[in-house]
Formats: sequence, C-alpha cells, structure tokens
Amino acid sequence: MIPALAHISDAAPRKRSGPRSLARRTADAIGHAVAEVLENDELASSAGLMQSLDPRIKLVSVLVFSVVASFVHSLPMLLVLIVATMALAAASRVSVASFARKVWSSAGFFGLLLSAPAATAWITPGEILVSLGPLSITAPGLVIATRLIARVAVGAGFGLLVVWTTRWTDLLRALSAMGVSDLVVATLAMTQKQIMSLLRTVENMHLARESRMLSGGTARDNRGWVIERMAFVARRSMKTADDVYDAMLSRGFSGAMPSLVDLHATTRDLAWVIASVAACVLALGVDRMVFPV
Amino acid sequence: MHIPDGYLGPQTYAALDVAIIPIWVIASTRIKKTLKAKQVPLMALAAAFSFVIMMFNVPVVGGSTGHAVGAVLIAILLGPWAACISVSIALVVQALVFGDGGITAIGANCVNMAIIMPFVGYYVYRLVAGDRPGHGRRITAAGIAAYVGIVTAAIAAGVEFGLQPLLAHTASGQALYSPYPLSVAVPAMAFEHLLFFGPVEAVVTMGIVAVLARQDSALLRMKPAAKPLRWLWAAFACLVLLTPIGTLAQGTAWGEWGAQQIKATLGYIPAGLEKAGGLWTSAMPDYAPSFIANPLVGYLVAAVLGSALVIGVTWAVGRLLARNNDDSAPTVPPTDAA
Repeated sequence: MIPALAHISDAAPRKRSGPRSLARRTADAIGHAVAEVLENDELASSAGLMQSLDPRIKLVSVLVFSVVASFVHSLPMLLVLIVATMALAAASRVSVASFARKVWSSAGFFGLLLSAPAATAWITPGEILVSLGPLSITAPGLVIATRLIARVAVGAGFGLLVVWTTRWTDLLRALSAMGVSDLVVATLAMTQKQIMSLLRTVENMHLARESRMLSGGTARDNRGWVIERMAFVARRSMKTADDVYDAMLSRGFSGAMPSLVDLHATTRDLAWVIASVAACVLALGVDRMVFPV
Repeated sequence: MHIPDGYLGPQTYAALDVAIIPIWVIASTRIKKTLKAKQVPLMALAAAFSFVIMMFNVPVVGGSTGHAVGAVLIAILLGPWAACISVSIALVVQALVFGDGGITAIGANCVNMAIIMPFVGYYVYRLVAGDRPGHGRRITAAGIAAYVGIVTAAIAAGVEFGLQPLLAHTASGQALYSPYPLSVAVPAMAFEHLLFFGPVEAVVTMGIVAVLARQDSALLRMKPAAKPLRWLWAAFACLVLLTPIGTLAQGTAWGEWGAQQIKATLGYIPAGLEKAGGLWTSAMPDYAPSFIANPLVGYLVAAVLGSALVIGVTWAVGRLLARNNDDSAPTVPPTDAA
C-alpha cells in the first residue's frame, strides 16, 4: 500500500491561474518520482511471472536479453522483441498500456527526436521518399532512424521490466549473490534510503517556498534561492553521513557487512533459463538467417 | 547526458563496461585508505546528494530551466576518487530504480559522468585555484572547473556516439546504432554544453562553493597538489603524444569548413564570409607549422605549442587572480579527503 505521505504533492492545496511556479513544478516532479518508486515497489510485490523468478536469474537474464537485443539488426526482429517486452509485462501483471506509455513517452520520444535528422538526406543520402527541400527523407535514412527507435524501445522495455518487477531489496540480494562486494551493496542500500529522505526534504523546501510566495518570483531570486538550498543539502548530506556513521557504531558496527544472500532457485527458474536461452538463440538465428541486413 | 540502451554498439558498451571495473577497484582502494569504515555512509550520502542535485530546476534565460550534474562539486568537496564512486552509485541507482540511463550503457555513462567529469573538473580546479586560494579565486576556479568538466564529458559522449557509424554498419554502409558521424555528434554535444548546460553547471557550482565558503569553509579543504598534479601532467603528456591520431580522420570537422569547401557544397561563397575570411591569417593554418615538412610531426609540434600557449595564459590569469586576492584570506589546511 502506498503511504498517504507519497501523495502530498498531488494534493494541490490551491489552484492558481496561469503557469505553476518553479517551486511548485519542482515539488511536483519530486513528489511524482517518490510516488513512482513506491508504486514500483508495490508492483514488484504482486504475483506475476517476472516477480516470481529468483532475482539473480531475472537480473542476469534481462542483462542477456539486452545484450542479445543489441546484436539484433533487422527491423522485424526488433519489432518482435518490442512485442516480447510487452508480453512479459502482461505476464507480470503490469498494465501493458502503462508499460507502453512509459517506454514510448521517455525513451521512444527522445529516440524519435534524436533519430529524426538521421532519416534526412543531410545525414543519410539515398533514394528520396519524401522531398521537404533540404530535409528530404531518404529510404535508407528512414530504415536507420526506425531501427534506432526500435532498438532504444527494446532496451528501455527490458530495463523497465527490471525496475517494475523487482523490489530494491531483492535487487541488492541478487547483486550480493552475484559476487558484488558487501561494501558496495551496503552503500547502494543506504544510497536509496538517503535519496528518498533527501528528496522528501527538497520537496518540502519547495512546498514551503511556494506557500510563502504571492508570485512566482524573478529568475534571479529563484536562482539564488535554489543555489542556497543546494548548498544546504550538501551540508546536510555531510552532516547526516557523520550521524549515520555514529549510529552504526553505537549499534555495534565493526566494519563487517552482513551478507544478504538468501536465495534459492526453483524448477520454475530452471524452466525460465531454458526458455530464455532458446528465445535468445531463436532471435539471433532468425535475425541472421531470415532477415539478414 | 544519460545514454540509454540502443545508441552504443556492443564493441563500445562492452569495452567501457569492462574498463570501468578496474577504475572502481582503484577508487575503492584509494578511498579505503583515507576514509576507512566511514566510507559507507559518506559515499551513500554523496551519491544521494549527486542524485538529488539533478532534481533541482535552475532558472536560466528566457524562462527555461536546466539542471546540474554536480560531479565536479562533489570532486571539490570529497576528492575525485570519492566523486567517481558516489556518482557511479547514483548512476546505477538511476538506471535500476528510476529507469534513467541504459543497463548496458552503465559503463559509458560512468566513464563520462563519474570519471571524466570529476577528474577533469577537479584538476582544473586545482590548477586554477592553486594551493592557497582566496574566496574569489576559489569561486572562479570552481566555475571554470565545472564548465570544463561537463563540456569534456559531453565531448566524450559525442565521441562515443560518433564512433558508432565507423564501428558497426551494414554492407551498404548503413549505421546499426547511433547514426551520426564524429563530425556531427561531437559538435552537437559540444555546442549544447558550451552554450547551455556548461553555464548552468558553472553557475550552480560557483554558487554552492560561494555559500559553503561563507557558511562552512571546512568542507572545502583541499589536499596538497604535488602528487595528483604529477599524474595530471603525465596524462596530459600522453594525450599530446596521441594527437597525431587526429590526422587519420577524413574530411573536415562539421562547421569548420573553409571558403573553398563551402563553395564546393553550396556553389558560391557567402559575401560576408568572403569579406571576413581574409581578416586574420593564423600562424599555423591547419595545425601544420610551415617549418616542418612531415605532417605527423607538424601536428604533434602544433599540439605542444598550442598546449604551452593555453597553459601559459591560464598560469598568467591564475597569477593575476592570486595577486588580486586578499593576502589575509584564510588558508586551507590539508586533509586526506581526496
């Protein structure tokens, strides 16, 4: 269940005409990011295909999928992989619409923006499909741009599957089991907690400023305030590091990190590994033999 | 600057993923020596700060906003090795928790933002600030360091993008990953950071250093420069020796066309360009000193002379700033934080 605290920024205490102030926009963005992480954790706890896998096997298999996807060059196979990410999302009880929206609104959209010039004769000369003056779209350019967008969408899809179906604690256990040093794992664990704590602090700073201001303020004032607050966060981070270390010592910390490894693979995981290997071999085989580029 | 999956081919991302591991090991070893058991909460908080600083919207011109990366600031506060680890951790958390930045591209993102940016920025800061910086010089040094750091990291990302069409293409020459050649990718990345993100990073870093210097100057203590600067000079010498590699590139860098090349492309030379083209004749056109016949040696000599000129001007500006600083400004005691 998502705590009510996560929705503070969505409460919108009062509405103003005109655009939102910088403080409000930043507070909303931070509140949204925090709420998203909490929602992800809730989603990762539901009973779906990817959630039921051993986190080590899931992490390695998604990494392998991403690598295999980078070796796939044909458009039909890249489209198949996009569909595969959505099928995995559906099997993991993730809303396919939300999944697609997330992939295409971030990676897909920026992929489109970045790859668009490559479709023109300016970057990729060739047979002209649509003539728009100096920015004519060429056939090879269109293929290159589409391939790039599809590739980015596949990569983002696999990445999002890990983010949405794996609890942070499980991810840390997987990293620990895969040989990542306990010191690094402990630092990662602490980092995530401190990020959430600092984000809340920063969100509250912006909400407090918003509540004290009658207008949005000038850019110069806002810039000065933002820099002052950043410096405060820097000082607070250093101070908190000392406090956390003192707290660790007072609880008997001796320098040794507790191991987080407590994972057991099941027959379901074995079946997943076999299916994954078969899917990767099939994808690369079809890409090279049926649709060579 | 976060590179998602799909833009870099396996040759590039695998090489960078492998290259980052020994650097993390060296950084961890260096930090263990200085920070000991305290490193876990300090690195965690520094990584959290690195993440959070990117969430602040900084107002810039025309009502738009930008955000800072903060890697150079962390390098100034904690040293470059600690910045390397904390920014890397922030990037890993961004990729695995927030889905920002690709999984296969983690190595590339860490090389750009957790190695190149903090190290370049830190040593530029040391070079400009000197060992006993006053208030104004420290702030100026932080701004220059942040600007140079982020622009260098952006150029590195541009090089990574620009190498893709050379490294991976179909038989007919179609790019399989990022399609833009070096002549497009490098200027595109450099310009947006020279003109927009660089100034934002510089203003934010200068501002935070100014506030910290006023409120808690102990955070800005520095280690004596002797040993790290030796490494900087060694790395710099290696780079100068490698400059003849640049002669292998074909064609002219994007946007740096001469009048004749523009005429060949457009069919005419714009009147203003023709008029302004002869106003200045450089001492070494095309990095080829007239007194050296061999182009490779000439390129190398041009690199040495150009670098010496830049260092000389920087040194002179640094001396000038030092002279203008208040001599009674508090000195900074050495610390082992780096």
